[in-house]
Amino acid sequence: MFKPYILENMEFDKDSLYKLGKLSKIKIDESKLQSLSSDLGSIVEFIDRLKSIDTENVDPTSNSLDQSLVMRDDIASDVNSANEILENAPQKELDFFSVPKVIE
Amino acid sequence: MINGWELVIGIEIHAQVKSKSKLFSSSSTEFGSGPNSQVSLVDAAMPGMLPVINKFCVEQAVRSGIGLNAKINNKSIFDRKNYFYQDLPQGYQISQFKDPIVGNGFVEIKSDGQLKKIGIERLHLEQDAGKSLHDQDPNLTYVDLNRSGIALMEIVSMPDMKSPEEAVEYVKKVRSILRYLDTCDGNMEQGSLRADVNVSVNKPGNDLGTRCEIKNLNSFKYIHSAIIYEAKRQIKLIESGENIIQETRLYNIESGETRSMRSKEDAHDYRYFPDPDLLPLVLEEDWIENIKGSIPELPDSKKERFIREYGLSEYDSSVIVSDKSTSDYYEKVVQDRNPKLVTTWVTSELFSVLNKKNLSIDESPVPPKHLGELIDNIDSGKISSRQAKDIFEEMCKTGETAYNIINQRGLSQISDESELKKLVETVLSSNPENVKKYKNGKEKLFGFFVGEAMKLSKGKANPKILNELLKSKLNT
Repeated sequence: MFKPYILENMEFDKDSLYKLGKLSKIKIDESKLQSLSSDLGSIVEFIDRLKSIDTENVDPTSNSLDQSLVMRDDIASDVNSANEILENAPQKELDFFSVPKVIE
Repeated sequence: MINGWELVIGIEIHAQVKSKSKLFSSSSTEFGSGPNSQVSLVDAAMPGMLPVINKFCVEQAVRSGIGLNAKINNKSIFDRKNYFYQDLPQGYQISQFKDPIVGNGFVEIKSDGQLKKIGIERLHLEQDAGKSLHDQDPNLTYVDLNRSGIALMEIVSMPDMKSPEEAVEYVKKVRSILRYLDTCDGNMEQGSLRADVNVSVNKPGNDLGTRCEIKNLNSFKYIHSAIIYEAKRQIKLIESGENIIQETRLYNIESGETRSMRSKEDAHDYRYFPDPDLLPLVLEEDWIENIKGSIPELPDSKKERFIREYGLSEYDSSVIVSDKSTSDYYEKVVQDRNPKLVTTWVTSELFSVLNKKNLSIDESPVPPKHLGELIDNIDSGKISSRQAKDIFEEMCKTGETAYNIINQRGLSQISDESELKKLVETVLSSNPENVKKYKNGKEKLFGFFVGEAMKLSKGKANPKILNELLKSKLNT
């Protein structure tokens, strides 16, 4: 039977949390810091269990069927996508997506 | 060396694969289409879409690797490079990190008259990002995803270059090889080939300095001046006791300066991991061998052959072979003609016209066949080289052949004695009265005969030979 693996009191350190937030463009609210940190901490702890498996001789992204990438021919078939692609855009100008100004 | 400081330069070249469709989707790669008109659901990162790799792009990466004398890896892995930016819908770029498709290689460049090997660390395949336009609206950035997902080959050099000249020679060499292989069109203005240049400075014998990366240089001139500016900036900082911060910088083409690209500073944690959507790319040895068999003659060996076959100087040969189209043009003209004459005409007369009109040799107003005919006329002495220049100018303007212009203008001289003899005989036999008068002492009539002969030849008779022939005929 599956038993959820939850570790009490395991915390994700705050610096890493802020860094992740920044990289993901997510604002992290001070009041949620504690609960986020313990939630993430238990997730990491759970994933860390995988470390106990010996993967020394296993290739990354390998699979049990030992398959490799299937290639397609170089044919350009998708055309005139603008209407379809922009349909879900929250904001558009002319045929461009438009977003708040990004200053470099 | 600048003021006793050594430069260390490494370069990443991004070369767009000359494919019809994108690396992982069937959208067209055509340049200059309407915004967002070439974006598939894969490119826009719609949920549930899966990338399928383009076989042609894989072949071009392998071809390029072979051209760069590099090791082709039988197995390579695609990774996700994660960062957040408005022109990257997936939130990650599919690239290759630990296991690239092509490993170590090298190219040879000329530096101070010596051959120098520049190491290639790797070549890997990756997706291009979309394009952001910051100057269309005061408050908005516009995004066009047409470029998103186009296949790029990133070619990473070893930090083997010591001067801006070597850096430029290196990029020129790689570009030339890719153009010979036809894997990338090398068009730097359109961004098909661009370079990120890493520069650091150190005192001879000391450890390497901290490097800065100048992004997205798309001309040889910018590469050269950006390196000089950046090296001087670093030297000035160090000499005034400050530290260099490792960072990404942008080159401003108007001011010739580099400036920090602060927005990317935090983004250096890319959290690479193998893309779970893509299995390992496995290449069979005979598939690679097959490609090896299709590699054309590359610039270095063509240069040697031109020196050997046509007796060109080292310099002329390297000028002609540096561009594949130029070397093709040259070979079409030279055939069994005088190589020296052909070289002069291609590298001085033709090049100066092309430069003036800002045309590539493929767009030359004078096709190789026409230039060859013009050179034949010079070589046979039919026209002088002075006349040839006028005729060439006319050929450029009108697209006419040399023969037609020479005939229209009556420029070709008749120097052939037997032809001129016939001409003299015709003139004398149709003016028996005057011949009699001349022989009886009216020597002034000599001018009349010359005039008649000239008229008959439409002014083309070589006057010196004509005079001699007339004199000898009349005085016997």
